[in-house]
Amino acid sequence: MSMKNNNQKLILGIYDDPDKVLAATRNVRKAGFDIKDVYTPFPIHGIDKAMGIQRSRLGISAFLFAMTGLLTAVVMMVYMSWGDDWEINIGGKPNLHIPTYIPVTFELSILFTAFGMVATFFIVSKMAHGKNPTLMDIRQTDDRIVIAVNLHNTGDSDAINKIFQSNGALEVKERDLSI
Amino acid sequence: MYESPIREVLVEGGKTYTDVSNDICRPLENKATKGWWIGFIVSALVLALWIGATTYTLMTGIGTWGLNKTVGWAFDITNFVFWVGIGHAGKLISAILLLFRQKWRMSINRSAEAMTIFAVICAASFIVSHMGRPWVAYWPIPLPNAFGSLWVNFNSPLVWDVFAISTYFSVSLVFWYLGLIPDIATIRDRATTRMRKFMYNFFAMGWDGSARTWNRYELVSLILAGISTPLVLSVHSIVSMDFATSVIPGWHTTIFPPYFVAGAIFSGFGMVLTLLVIGRVVLKQEEYITMGHLDAMCKVVMLTGSMVGLAYITEFFIAAYSGVEYEQYAFINRATGPYAWAYWIMMSCNLIAPQVFWTKWARSTPWFIFVLSIIVNIGMWFERFVIIVTSLHRDYITSSWAMYTPTWVEFSILIGSFGLFFTLYFLFVRYLPTINMSEIKAILPKKQTQH
Repeated sequence: MSMKNNNQKLILGIYDDPDKVLAATRNVRKAGFDIKDVYTPFPIHGIDKAMGIQRSRLGISAFLFAMTGLLTAVVMMVYMSWGDDWEINIGGKPNLHIPTYIPVTFELSILFTAFGMVATFFIVSKMAHGKNPTLMDIRQTDDRIVIAVNLHNTGDSDAINKIFQSNGALEVKERDLSI
Repeated sequence: MYESPIREVLVEGGKTYTDVSNDICRPLENKATKGWWIGFIVSALVLALWIGATTYTLMTGIGTWGLNKTVGWAFDITNFVFWVGIGHAGKLISAILLLFRQKWRMSINRSAEAMTIFAVICAASFIVSHMGRPWVAYWPIPLPNAFGSLWVNFNSPLVWDVFAISTYFSVSLVFWYLGLIPDIATIRDRATTRMRKFMYNFFAMGWDGSARTWNRYELVSLILAGISTPLVLSVHSIVSMDFATSVIPGWHTTIFPPYFVAGAIFSGFGMVLTLLVIGRVVLKQEEYITMGHLDAMCKVVMLTGSMVGLAYITEFFIAAYSGVEYEQYAFINRATGPYAWAYWIMMSCNLIAPQVFWTKWARSTPWFIFVLSIIVNIGMWFERFVIIVTSLHRDYITSSWAMYTPTWVEFSILIGSFGLFFTLYFLFVRYLPTINMSEIKAILPKKQTQH
């Protein structure tokens, strides 16, 4: 695999039209080449299917974080109102009265979900403050879309180039990526 | 894509992707204009007034205010509810309109969310200064303490409010920052100076626009929007429960949560209009924030204004229907008592004035929209003043009836809070893109992007 040597050879197709990118990505994948990634300044509808990306499981993590928040809130409130030393009596009002416990439970569930999920997103996407990105093209965050294909076999270069060109690439270039 | 022969385009002027980046980055890449400096300095001076008046209050105590034994909540809580209400439009635009697939939100959600955050900062400052002893402001937070395991009262709406507002603020901040990351990366890759490169590189978190990251990013945004929608509704509902769970005539009503939420959307959109009618001209963004956008926002203002108007009338009816004389008196006193002037300002600004938006002319005349948005802001401030002060000043025991007159300190804090808000807003306009570039690029009509 390409991971063994320190150099990763890539072939890049540079585009300015999301529709052409979708077609090119489908064709590259159909021809059996290994797409590293597609870099784009804005989300392209349907690119995940064209690349064969699985649906993210972040939704499951959101649910788990929500449950954590809910449990934290309930345990905290029960402990503080009842469990700790004595039952708190405020104006003789009923303690552990479920409706009045709903707001805090709800807010903490939301808080845990939001922070938990965003943190998970940063970890899974390997994002961190101050990290220097490896850009394929300086304009990939502006107005260019780059399809990066792993070049395991130098002989494949022509075939990929052909697919890129026939789908309207502005430019095709090869690049060595040192890991 | 959002193309249809009968729909007006969301972005005018045949923009390409490059044009979008250039137009939206211009205000933060060029030298600050004279207009920006004037606006910033004026805001900073008003902020100084806020700092002065707040410091005076904190050093001396809330005896500097016009409160008395009967009217224990007045200007301060009015200002708090006013600012929290304004802080609702941002989330509404970015979350609820996202779920409803209203694509026109895309060019206004960034500045509306910024407005949310700054407005909640203003609101929080009022809670802290209202406490009288702000150095113990952490007491509503359930922390282990030295008072013999004395915990907070989870039956109290004031404690719910602490949880609701802090959750709302932090979730809004995270949602806003997440939305900014792709745009910060765009600015990073356009940066020419070392300082600029370093700062934007730091906050871009290594964003490279990978389709795999976008895939996760869109899911995270969708879920955040999904949970933010009930959040935004819960926050102002809980603020309204600060009043509704009490036994004060005029406050003890079940209509409060939906009525406060509608009012919050109303005042929030009023403030968004105030900022954007000016901002789109000054920042030369008329092609992104089009007349179509203003038109849509005016319709929201008209709808929510009518909703709060309906709530005002319903309150009156329910008071009459309840047969409770204290409740009935509270409302008669609002409309005809010593604070009737405030009540009629509220009625005319919130219920009557927005009805002009039934006409196409009113919705398509920017200077008129601006004037009306100011009227909405005034009306919504008075709504809270009416609810709080007129309900308190005459309740059950006639011997404790009193009048309330604000002092110069309270006026200074109110005016000063606008300085705090606008100083933050001017800094935002200078250092961050006010329109979400990546979302706008995704909705450009296809034929436009080709040269």
